[in-house]
Amino acid sequence: FVQMRTKLNVADNSGAKIVGCIQAKARKIGGSIGDVIVASVKEAASGKKRIKKFEKESTKVKKGDVVRAVIVRARMQKGRRDGSHIRFDENAVVIINKEGEPVGTRVYGPVAAELRAKKFVKILSLADDV
Amino acid sequence: MRLEKCWFCSSTIYPGHGMMYVRNDAKIFRFCRSKCHKNFKMKRNPRKVKWTKIYRKLHGKELPQDTTFELERKRNRPERYDRNVVEDTVKAMKKISETRVEREAQTLANRMRGKKTQQRREDLAELQQGIHLVKAPTALLEEPSLTLPKEKMKVKVSVEQESKAMES
Repeated sequence: FVQMRTKLNVADNSGAKIVGCIQAKARKIGGSIGDVIVASVKEAASGKKRIKKFEKESTKVKKGDVVRAVIVRARMQKGRRDGSHIRFDENAVVIINKEGEPVGTRVYGPVAAELRAKKFVKILSLADDV
Repeated sequence: MRLEKCWFCSSTIYPGHGMMYVRNDAKIFRFCRSKCHKNFKMKRNPRKVKWTKIYRKLHGKELPQDTTFELERKRNRPERYDRNVVEDTVKAMKKISETRVEREAQTLANRMRGKKTQQRREDLAELQQGIHLVKAPTALLEEPSLTLPKEKMKVKVSVEQESKAMES
């Protein structure tokens, strides 16, 4: 479960690198894949590096910002309706705004298909793999 | 619904069983039970783990390559539903599994060929070495009928034993 103080990687290019969960919005016990959390940005990109020739590291989100994020990958397994379980190698989030739209423009790495049920279609369409 | 194969032991994973692990490079590993999952976490290579199908095929314990496995190949493109095709497929599945069973039995027979005679030989040697556990040595001498079993094969030891019994 992703609880308060859990550090998560950021899987998009919003500028944050690592966020620390402040509150899991979904459940008292904590969040899992597909849940929204409130987090504080612990580590952010400086904005000076270049990722690609035409793309600079974005600084939409700075260190110390309090943001909302949705968990796209979690180490703890999540059960599915057909009885199977799925688990990932790391804990990762995509930073979103109040409406649920992702703040960044790209999503890195595989994401869980659980997002579709939670209506995060934009993230799914940006992702490499589901 | 699709029946997957366990990454570690190659058994089929039925719905409701097992765990799926997605690595960060988006490679998916499916496991049929926690035994396989735990072995994977221990970073064991299934090719070296004796009870997996991969090991057995690699070391010639089971039918390695056969045309009967072609039917089970993964097909990503869904076929258009055709009743005749389904009927034929069902018939073919039955026939193919029958032939596969036969061929696997054949490979097993080939592997175990000569095992019976070898077993008998080993048992005989063990009996001769440990006959004192079964019968007291004096009993063998007193009653000449209680000799060690005669072996039809030309084994040096039994011939010696027979001559010894005859001498005493």
